[in-house]
Amino acid sequence: MNSFMLYSVLNTVFVLLVSPLFISLIKKTKAYTQGRRGPSLLQTYFLIVKLMKKEVIYSSNSSMIMRITPYLNITFMLAASLFVPLLFIPALSPGIGNIFLFLYLLVAAKFFMALAGLDAGSTFGGMGSSREMTLSAVIEPVVIIVFATLAFVFRTMNMHEMFTQSLGTSILINPPVLLISLSLFIILIVETSRIPVDNPETHLELTMVHEAMILESSGSNLALMELSHAIKQTLLMGLLINILMPWGLAREPGLVNIGVATAMFIMKGVILAIVVGLFESSVAKMRLFRLPALFMQAFFLAFVTILFELLNRL
Amino acid sequence: MTLNTVFFSGLAIFIIALLVPLPFVRRSIKGINRISQWLHILANMLFIFLSLFLLITGQSLQTTLYQIIPSAGFSFVIDRLAAFLIFTISIVSLCAGIYSLTYEKSAPENKKCLMASLTSFFVLSMLLVVASKNTFSLLFFWETMSISSFFLVMFDHEQKLTQKSGLFYFIMTQMSTVFLLFAFLAMYSATGSFDIQPVSGISSGMKALLFLCLFIGFGIKAGVMPFHKWLPYAHSASPSNISALMSGVMIKVAIYGILRFVLFTLGPELWWGILILVFGSVSALLGVVYALKEHDLKKLLAYHSIENIGIILLGVGLYIIFQSFNLPDLALLALAGGLFHTLNHALFKSLLFLTAGSVVHATGTRNIEEMGGLIKRMPVTGMLFLVGAVSISALPPFNGFVSELMIFQAFFRSFQVGEPFVVVFLFVALAMFALTSALAAACFVKAFGTVFLALPRSKEAEKANEVSMPMLIGPAILAVLCVVLGIFSFQIISYAGYDLATPDLLTVGVFIAIFLVLTMVTVVLTGNRKSRISETWGCGLTSQNSRMEYTASGFSEPILTIFRPIYRTSKLSQRSFSDKTESIFRNGAGQIKTFKLFEERIYMPVAGFIQRLSSKIADSQDVDLDTHILYAFITIVVLLAIAWWVL
Repeated sequence: MNSFMLYSVLNTVFVLLVSPLFISLIKKTKAYTQGRRGPSLLQTYFLIVKLMKKEVIYSSNSSMIMRITPYLNITFMLAASLFVPLLFIPALSPGIGNIFLFLYLLVAAKFFMALAGLDAGSTFGGMGSSREMTLSAVIEPVVIIVFATLAFVFRTMNMHEMFTQSLGTSILINPPVLLISLSLFIILIVETSRIPVDNPETHLELTMVHEAMILESSGSNLALMELSHAIKQTLLMGLLINILMPWGLAREPGLVNIGVATAMFIMKGVILAIVVGLFESSVAKMRLFRLPALFMQAFFLAFVTILFELLNRL
Repeated sequence: MTLNTVFFSGLAIFIIALLVPLPFVRRSIKGINRISQWLHILANMLFIFLSLFLLITGQSLQTTLYQIIPSAGFSFVIDRLAAFLIFTISIVSLCAGIYSLTYEKSAPENKKCLMASLTSFFVLSMLLVVASKNTFSLLFFWETMSISSFFLVMFDHEQKLTQKSGLFYFIMTQMSTVFLLFAFLAMYSATGSFDIQPVSGISSGMKALLFLCLFIGFGIKAGVMPFHKWLPYAHSASPSNISALMSGVMIKVAIYGILRFVLFTLGPELWWGILILVFGSVSALLGVVYALKEHDLKKLLAYHSIENIGIILLGVGLYIIFQSFNLPDLALLALAGGLFHTLNHALFKSLLFLTAGSVVHATGTRNIEEMGGLIKRMPVTGMLFLVGAVSISALPPFNGFVSELMIFQAFFRSFQVGEPFVVVFLFVALAMFALTSALAAACFVKAFGTVFLALPRSKEAEKANEVSMPMLIGPAILAVLCVVLGIFSFQIISYAGYDLATPDLLTVGVFIAIFLVLTMVTVVLTGNRKSRISETWGCGLTSQNSRMEYTASGFSEPILTIFRPIYRTSKLSQRSFSDKTESIFRNGAGQIKTFKLFEERIYMPVAGFIQRLSSKIADSQDVDLDTHILYAFITIVVLLAIAWWVL
């Protein structure tokens, strides 16, 4: 239990510290491809500190939903962060690690965010909530099938066990992992509101989804929402990294191990963030009703993986 | 011995509660229904106590009330499964009973007496269906359950819509009885006894026929698609406390029938499991898809009942499939998931129906487009509804999540099944189930958002007030149970003696609490603590009104567009113009029509056929006496011929 306490403290602090970096890095990458210099890599940290110092403005229409959502959101995200070890894999705990619980913690955060979008009575908020829940309804079967495939490939539903296993194997001898990583990448793009699904930089009513829901948030509430979005991105990146390229992730805590793991994770995260930035720069935003086609690709890849595994064992 | 005493005193109190108001239906005395209601609550408490005792100690209770003929009579046995269902029924009836104390306050006294009496009759019948030891007594109480609930649905019988709903319900419920009657008689002829016991030594064709009859018979009552059509009608027409009972527990009694007869009396075969799984998936998905387009709050909840019955059937179907592949661990997990969902759905659905009843009571409408902003006017009801909404959307750490998790886990581990085709089939069913679960969350964001958040959309919603204390206490008990059964699920399941490898939600719950406190402390210490109230940003408009808000139809529009093939929505528009080039618009009309697949393609053709057939038969009855005597003669000859051929 002592090691688990150490894990939860370290992992949580690391997630909180590293998440804003990846957000800035993607922005920076996109800026470079557009021929701009872009904001500093510390910009997201500054933004959160600045927002914390500002007063909170509530709409006169809003209720307690608006007031509790930022706190619930970051809480669900931090709870979910325990499921994705970024530095070292702790000893098994009966409550932590179930891949299904991980997914539904993310869904719970989304549920309250969508309610908060409706709370102020603004048309934008309602539009954002409506679109977000639509996208979520279509992407969730894909996520579940992808996660079921992961459970199938690794023969376990515990994420910590999956990562332990993926540490021991190489993708070269495990082609299903490569296939499923493509699906995980699409999920990462969709769930973090990136182009072609959503555009995190826009405030144009026709295109925004995630931004529309948090339009009425301000001050420390907005800071919490931004931070939890950043954490969500890190978690999904961490999931992909730990499955596809887990090298460096420590099996047990130790000063050297954790040092190496920190350096390795930041490096892998930087690479993935740049890939995401480049991907975002190379595609155009899709129409809302065209998106199910994108999701079907991830769905298809997951099903191919299942068939692959079934054939493997015949 | 003492257990029997508790059982019989429970029965006795129910019967007193049933009889006391009856003499006063014509000439009522104020408050007589109160006596009946309190007795009802007391009797439910006794049954909760009894069933909990039986569940914890693992004992079973056997008793006989009245033996009509040696082979048939009213005998009861309460084993663990029955005790579980009895616990579910009585806990929901208890809370609905508390809620009813002040609900329908404005109804006339004699109606209130009738309602109190019928409610006791209804709950008693449900309890005895579950406790029945033989098919004779089961079918008897099944019928009293149907009849009492029919009268309760017809509570507002002055309204046209209620009459239609009641009639629809009555016909469907009688159809269910016909199928059950046939199955039970066939079972009697096979075993020579009315007792519910494993049937053996019948041909597989007969067994298949029996299964289909039982499945259709119980399926109609459970609201399995395509036999579900009565459910949204009856649930929305009846008073909310009755809807809570019908949706929360009556359809679970049908699930009990499926479990008892299909799983434990007939030995199930693989294709039964697949059939049940297909019906379950379709009910779950279409239930929620239809719920999404529904703007009548109670109909919306009714469609969600169909969805959740589908989810329970997924557990049952998986159990049969895993059993036939000899995977007892997985089978147990699936069945436990289905059973736990039975209890959970009973809790959160009756919670939702009761709070929805309060909302309807306060606003006087069932249309969610005319509500809004109610969380500020009815804060407690709003919070209780939110608990129900979070539970039904299967969000952790609430109870709905746990049971769906168990079924999901059973699906996830289905790769252990040896047959690749079955594995692929199960993964397809899994995808449908996942879609269902996601759409349910979307639907409840819509429902909670439109009913409780933003600005009120009508004068009635503006003037709504919080309901009285009993109407809050009843749902509040259910809400507490939803949370407790979620967070402590792991401990409860372990205590019951099962190891199902579900995650311990208490750990996550503790972490959530720690993180919540830490975040709040951090924000208070480092953040700016000032806050002020201002207008919602309206693109420069100075005052905002409710017409600018997102509506429920607007909210579900993108989903409706994506699932257009299911809804078969057609948009009709008529326009006329003042000039030839059609550029100056004069007037026009637009309409969005959703195709009612089941009503137009299944129910109406069948009804039409029966109508034509019966008009033909009616023609042959309109004749003189001689012909009637001829009919009687022919009948006797035919009967004699059949008897001669059979014997």
